[in-house]
Amino acid sequence: MRMKVVSVTAATIVATCAAGCLESPEAPHEVVVYSSVDEIFARPIAQQFKNETGIQVRLVPDTEETKSTGLLNRLMAEKARPQADVFWSGDPVRAAILKSRDISEPYRSPQADGLPVRYSDPQGHWAGFSARARVLIYNTSLVPETERPTSVMDLLDSRFRGSACLANPLFGTTSMHAAALFQVLGEVNAREFFTRFIENGGTIVSSNGEVRRRVAAGDFAIGITDTDDFNVALRERKPVGIVYPDHDGIGTLVIPNAAVLIAGAPNPEGGKRFIDFLLSPETEEALAHSAAAQMPVRSGIPIPAYVRSLTEITPMQVDYDKLADELERLSNGFLREWVTRHSR
Amino acid sequence: MISPAVLEQPGHWRSLGLVSVLLIVISPTLPLLLQAFDWSWSAFSFGRDFVAAILRSVIVAAGASLCALGLGFPCGLVAGLYRFPARRLMLAALAVPLLMPAFLWAIGLSMLRIELGLSRNGFLSGASGSIWSFAALATPLVVFAVLVAVRLLPGTAIDAARLAGGERAVLRYAGYAALPAGVTACLLGGILSLSDPGPGQILGFSGVATQILISFSALYDFELAAQQGLVTAAIVLLAASPLIWLVARHLTLALLPREVRLMEPRSSRTADWAGPALFGVTLLMALLAPVAGLAQPVLSELWLDSVVTTVARTGGNTLFYSAVAGLVATASAVPLAICATRVASLRASLLAGLLLILVLPPAVGALGTVLMASEAPVWLDPIFRSRFTVAAVLGLRLTAIPTVVLMRAIGSAPASWALAGALHGVPLLTYLRRVLAPFLAGPIFMSIALVALVATADITTVLLLQPPGQDSLSIALFTVMANAPESMVASLCLAYLLLGCLVIGALMFLMSLKGRLPRVGR
Repeated sequence: MRMKVVSVTAATIVATCAAGCLESPEAPHEVVVYSSVDEIFARPIAQQFKNETGIQVRLVPDTEETKSTGLLNRLMAEKARPQADVFWSGDPVRAAILKSRDISEPYRSPQADGLPVRYSDPQGHWAGFSARARVLIYNTSLVPETERPTSVMDLLDSRFRGSACLANPLFGTTSMHAAALFQVLGEVNAREFFTRFIENGGTIVSSNGEVRRRVAAGDFAIGITDTDDFNVALRERKPVGIVYPDHDGIGTLVIPNAAVLIAGAPNPEGGKRFIDFLLSPETEEALAHSAAAQMPVRSGIPIPAYVRSLTEITPMQVDYDKLADELERLSNGFLREWVTRHSR
Repeated sequence: MISPAVLEQPGHWRSLGLVSVLLIVISPTLPLLLQAFDWSWSAFSFGRDFVAAILRSVIVAAGASLCALGLGFPCGLVAGLYRFPARRLMLAALAVPLLMPAFLWAIGLSMLRIELGLSRNGFLSGASGSIWSFAALATPLVVFAVLVAVRLLPGTAIDAARLAGGERAVLRYAGYAALPAGVTACLLGGILSLSDPGPGQILGFSGVATQILISFSALYDFELAAQQGLVTAAIVLLAASPLIWLVARHLTLALLPREVRLMEPRSSRTADWAGPALFGVTLLMALLAPVAGLAQPVLSELWLDSVVTTVARTGGNTLFYSAVAGLVATASAVPLAICATRVASLRASLLAGLLLILVLPPAVGALGTVLMASEAPVWLDPIFRSRFTVAAVLGLRLTAIPTVVLMRAIGSAPASWALAGALHGVPLLTYLRRVLAPFLAGPIFMSIALVALVATADITTVLLLQPPGQDSLSIALFTVMANAPESMVASLCLAYLLLGCLVIGALMFLMSLKGRLPRVGR
């Protein structure tokens, strides 16, 4: 009897492990998409693609929130024989890093025709669409209307002494913002910005989501985050306000999504179809109406009232293609030292 | 025919077996470690910042270990020796933190601090907050390691201690006997904290894990990250070597066969209030405080639909990854424990080797496997790119946990059993099947359960290795965190906790069946 029990248990274990090994290989009617866009926004788009084309999307989402070693590392490690067909990046810098490491393949989608060229790679390695912006978020209970900030430089102002926060500038969109500030302000002024931020009692927190949470909770009066983060706080009726900074100055950093075709992808045709879908006006409209509240980079796309049009803001003039190099230099130098020195 | 006496005799097979299995256990990390050795070490910066980061991390790890030992040891001791009201329920509740990624607990503490209106620089932030987060996860490890160690004590020895000096003598004897297991578990808990940057990122503490994360996720420099991991491991092993040697020497018991009537917990008037009080304090620290912070937003809205959809999509994978990780870790630990248990120097070497694997960030093993997979032919994908791969890499990294439990268990098996078997011509396999396996059934079951729970909390390995579309519940939870409404995140967290409680309840029920499995729940 005992032998029977042991045999059945052993057979069950072997069968379970075997079931784990025997995955079905990627079928031609499937496309594998790695995405650094938050799953809550990416999954509905993937579902819509499936509804329209019948092609199943195997989505592998990532998030800066976990502080894990994310999908970009996976794409680099898989370079010799990739599993992904498409990388849907939440910002163009990660897409440019893939390009610099020969992980992406140029693809000029017919859907890219209406998209502004300044938000796409000149060689076609990535194409930018629906954008977020880097904005100031402030707690309306702590900041009276008369003291409302207007510029990122207000983080250095004595009225926000000890009550401003910024996500770790080595990760996520904050890293891109830091690189952009160095590009636009110049080395000396950008360094001074970060130095004075700390001198004014500013705090480095883990992510943009954390900036949103802690400003909304009143732990900080002001911070810098992304428009989608702000929109979550707004939908939750938190006491927060938004400022698209530096309207009359250096402008607001606009962060388009970027669609990247992976070199040597197992299903390049499926990947191209997914990229075509991402770059379509319909997807831009869907992302504008979603909780992400993203701004279409095309003109003439209908948007809800709570979404700003790109024409209403002053975009920061940056060379997106060069930001990745700038960021690499800063991550190995100033920013790394700054973060290490000023994290407790 | 091989005699069971070999199990009690020295021999080269022990070192050979140990090295062979350790090579398998360390295999996922090898590609990156080899690259690290290949890379120019002159480029590695032993600057003041890196050394300071290691020191800060060691201080936090030591703090978390001491807290876990201080709280977990008495809880494990009392729960092992005595029955008291709600004992099973509290033990089950204490297993819940094992399921939780430390990052989530840190968010809970951070939100609790804001709710309580405490200062940003107070004890719930920075290094002290990180110590709390890590201690919350290390404490259950100590409790269960001590519990198993106490429950494997001979009933005759407990009776003798009771006759000689009453309950004080029993506590002294059991405490002394369980201390090596408790210290090893708290060491494991502390060392796990060294490779986890999550709580530090949330609570404003920058340790060596943050430095390694920067190398991975900001510089995309795998080799540098692996080198930093290796240097950290070397320093930590050097610092911990006296302790490793000490616990390795005392991890076994010299018993006679007639002593192996395992003790049974008994009722005590003092334990009736002391047990719940001890567990109450521990549960408050390890479970209730972080959950209070996390669950508060759910009061505004419960996202039942999202919870059901997410659990339905990821529940099967989560169970598969956890259960198979438990099996793989325990299957690796059994030969390791058999090879090492009877020789103190091998026990110490084994502990050192396993701790080294734990100090390395999980990404080293996961990315190493991804690198192997991308170079391997397609027909090897079932080995390198399947759900089994995820579970195996998870399990191999956590082999240290079942090894400690099983070394203690095998160390409690009287040597004269094997010698008597040899004298009567019993073949080794029959001895293993009829004598050792039933004796180890309880600790093996406990090992599988502990690894399964800890593996459930892993994010990095699953994120980097999951076959596309095969994510786990913890991954789903974290990938919606950044931009989902707080009430939705809280709903998912609560669902995760409730599912964990259900699994733990089922495990406790199984473990109490028939008395063949460890009787921790009875």
